[in-house]
Amino acid sequence: METSEQFSNKQKQISISEFFEKNKHFLGFDTLQRSIITAVKEAVDNSLDACEETRILPEIRVEINRLKGDRIELITQDNGPGIPRNDIENVFGKFLLGSRFHAIRQTRGQQGIGITGVVMYSQLTAGSKTQVISKIGSDSSAVYVELGIDTRKNRATKSGERREIWLDDLTGDPVLHGLRIRTVMRAKYQRGRQSVHQYLRMTSIVNPHASISLVVRDRNGEMIEEGNWARTTEKLPREVSEIKPHPHGIHLGSLQRLLREAEERKMTSFLRHNFSGVSMRAARDILAAAGIDEGRTPRRIRAEEAQEMVSAFQKVKLLAPPTDCLSPIEDLLIKKGLSKAIDSRFASTITRNPKVSNGNPFQIEVGLVFGGNLSAEGPIEVLRFANRVPLMYQQGGCLLTKALEAVDWKRYGLEHPGGRGIPKGPAAVLVHLASTNVQFTSEAKEAVADNEEVFEEIRLAMLEVGRGLKNHLKKNSQRKKAREKFELINIILPEISRKSSQLLSREEPDLAPVITKIMDAVFCEEELDWDDERKLAICSITVYNYTARARAYTILAKWPEEDGVRIDENALGGRKEAKGLWAWRLDTLNPGSSTTIFFTVSGLTKGEWSEVDVFYRGNGEVIGATKIDEKLLDELRKTEALAAAELELEQQTETMGHLSDRAEHNSPDPATEPTEQVQPTLFDNYEAEE
Amino acid sequence: MTINRQKSKDEVIEALHGVASEMHDRMAKGVPPTMTLPVRSKSNIGFDKRLGVYKYGKKKTVRDATALGSARQLLRALHITEFVEGMITDGKTSTLREMYYISEGWGHGKFSTQNESNNLAEDLEIVTKCLREDFGLRPEEDGARIIGNVTFEERNRKGDWMRINCRDDVGDSGYGVPYNVESEKLSLIEEDVDFVMAIETGGMFDRLVENGFDEEARCALVHLKGQPARSTRRIMRRMSEQWNKPILVFTDCDPWSFRIFASIAYGAIKTAHISEYLATKEATYLGITADDILAYDLPSDDLSKQDSNALVAELSDPRFSTGWWQEQIQLMQEIGKKAEQQSLAKYGLDFVTDTYLPEKLSAMGLGY
Repeated sequence: METSEQFSNKQKQISISEFFEKNKHFLGFDTLQRSIITAVKEAVDNSLDACEETRILPEIRVEINRLKGDRIELITQDNGPGIPRNDIENVFGKFLLGSRFHAIRQTRGQQGIGITGVVMYSQLTAGSKTQVISKIGSDSSAVYVELGIDTRKNRATKSGERREIWLDDLTGDPVLHGLRIRTVMRAKYQRGRQSVHQYLRMTSIVNPHASISLVVRDRNGEMIEEGNWARTTEKLPREVSEIKPHPHGIHLGSLQRLLREAEERKMTSFLRHNFSGVSMRAARDILAAAGIDEGRTPRRIRAEEAQEMVSAFQKVKLLAPPTDCLSPIEDLLIKKGLSKAIDSRFASTITRNPKVSNGNPFQIEVGLVFGGNLSAEGPIEVLRFANRVPLMYQQGGCLLTKALEAVDWKRYGLEHPGGRGIPKGPAAVLVHLASTNVQFTSEAKEAVADNEEVFEEIRLAMLEVGRGLKNHLKKNSQRKKAREKFELINIILPEISRKSSQLLSREEPDLAPVITKIMDAVFCEEELDWDDERKLAICSITVYNYTARARAYTILAKWPEEDGVRIDENALGGRKEAKGLWAWRLDTLNPGSSTTIFFTVSGLTKGEWSEVDVFYRGNGEVIGATKIDEKLLDELRKTEALAAAELELEQQTETMGHLSDRAEHNSPDPATEPTEQVQPTLFDNYEAEE
Repeated sequence: MTINRQKSKDEVIEALHGVASEMHDRMAKGVPPTMTLPVRSKSNIGFDKRLGVYKYGKKKTVRDATALGSARQLLRALHITEFVEGMITDGKTSTLREMYYISEGWGHGKFSTQNESNNLAEDLEIVTKCLREDFGLRPEEDGARIIGNVTFEERNRKGDWMRINCRDDVGDSGYGVPYNVESEKLSLIEEDVDFVMAIETGGMFDRLVENGFDEEARCALVHLKGQPARSTRRIMRRMSEQWNKPILVFTDCDPWSFRIFASIAYGAIKTAHISEYLATKEATYLGITADDILAYDLPSDDLSKQDSNALVAELSDPRFSTGWWQEQIQLMQEIGKKAEQQSLAKYGLDFVTDTYLPEKLSAMGLGY
């Protein structure tokens, strides 16, 4: 764990305070409405980053109070590591100070331009000093300080510094560590799609490990808006490692800087030490291609030689950069985050494998929710994120939007007039781009710039969630048809019989043969409930035989089997066929009879499991279930056995430390989790047969 | 299929029981219940030479209870039967709208829109060969307005016969045609007109009234209020039959107005089971014709997509199969235009009464 002292020691300084003053529109302070969002964003992003780096589960409070005129008081508070007394001026008073500026890994704020902007904006528009209370764990008291900025000298002006005991104003308890910022600025609070509320809501979706709250008060102290987004997972984002730049992504200027600062004596070691993906052999190949002697001293390389090296980088075969510098949210957590913020019926999420573009690792995640309270009118909501930061402006010009628009959504069950633009319907789509180097269209960092490889990855991810939606809708319509039939034979038909017999004063006919004629099929109806008290998912599957012959079936149900997630009650004695796919053999069903399978699953949270896929083995068709593909099931079993054997082998060679690490992060290893990937094929195959 | 008027209560109930009986018999045999009725579309109307109007043909559709929607229709039909039987026994009547609201209490047999209940009432008329008046069901829609020197006697709420002259005893809005214009409610007493002119729009009706056209041209003016109600068509039929007066229809020039004329002259598709009561085969289409748009250079609008589709449908509608109509429809398709009655105002408020109508009428031999 990195201490906050070490963290701030890495900070380097670049003087552009004056640049900011002249260009504040680039930095999100161009309108009064936007300024408050930007200010909240800078503070919250910093808090999340600091908590993540120091492995703290974040609790963030945002308070906005409207003051006289167009002034707004903004207070943000976190439980992060705090900032050591001596670093406060640096953190709040300099641009491009971030440790992240020189390191290559995925962080929220990419260029360290940020909270300083808030201090400066407050000073310029309201003449307000920014008050900071910071408490670090190792100090007994907190530091209080008021900050302004000398934009000419690019440094903070500090005043009123004192030590104090910081008591939380909600709980009254002493604060162990954390940071509180209070400032006043000219700004305008507004609601809607582009608001602080929306920004925090989006932030909470992609940061399910954070608890975030918002209170907005009017001039008379009356609360006019609030938000409370509770933490839905204790799991912190994966700790990301820093990587060295990859030759494919380096520009001449950066290369020259590296060469200048190099301490290596030979070019081969320079290449191997300063870049990722460069083996000894690759280093030699690069130098040969660039016509540079291996033994040359890096500091003596001339500009035109560096230029030769840059072209050589593209010619030589290199290893891809490592991708553990990325921190995807992971599909299950996206599902949780989305279902927390949006009340929907169906969620489909996907985390693609990391890819590399121009030497920059990147990873795409997409989530789609459908139905429930979502409005069926108008275009769907698009939630864009780059490195867990919500993008709220310039939706149309953003690569993430363009990739979404490129999908033919009509095929997946959404309205998409003319196949262009944002599709319509009761849905919301989340797109997250995680990358060590997100290219934006402008300094404002609101729209991702075009990139073919990223575009294609998003498109593929969209197709995947689209297929999920299509299956869901198909199931819905099957279910609706089955429900209608049930209503018909259980309610309408008996009433027709009763009424007509009454009118005619005749005896009621026996309806059993009529029902068999109307239905003439086997129906399967499944229901999934959540017992909030017992924290159990309750699944029941009923099979009705409305044919004239006796039937025998084995019913298979898919459920999210995993470590810690298991079947509790299982009255009919289902057995495991493959991981997450269990089977129940039913007794012979006579015409007109039905049977219900009932089981409960523990170890899940609400919303984590929203759909049961039901398969059957037996003759004829079962409406509401899919015939199991035995061949694919066999393959699935084999893959699973193989993966299990591999895992065992791996465990034998792994140290105990690794094991506990694995358990803590519980990161799904693709090799051991074949069900998610193979199961959809069972269904796809069924579709193809149609 | 001919409907016999003046059915007795028992006959009506028996006819309705026939519907329930079809369902019950089928269920007793172990098969889904059904309700059989003629296909109610233009593909199943044909010209009845004996009656001179268009009637439903032999095509039948069987509504069976294998789908939820039609099963509900069957249940609703039984509920209506029960409801009507009750009204007949108690000597009551209700409006179609009242029945729609009463269906709220029918549980799974309730209607979701009034259109549904109106249609089902018509279905039952057709299947039972009764009129909805026999069921004690009446429309809440009022009929048309009439102005002109004709005299009716109408039985009022007290049961007394009231004599009304439609020129002297009425205000500017004219005589309101009641929903029931059968002989027990309304008698045609006397007239002093040369013809009856039915007018589609209220604006044109009022223009003719204001210009005193009824007296000048010695005619009775009937305001159709768009697609005319059953009673409006019925009273025109009676005037034509009893007084032997020509009926002229004056509408906009668009595909929907052609259908208004067709429902007056040949019978409407929806009510083809009672065409011989409602249709006036002697009715003549006066205008506005597609020719008129060109001849009088009338301000016109482009045909919408729906208009064009309606024209195409009319070309294959047996009611428009005569040469004159085919010509008119094709001409309209050619010029791609439609015009309103009131476009005649282009040449002044009096143009319609001073020029257009006199010219049209004298071409028909009705000049004055």
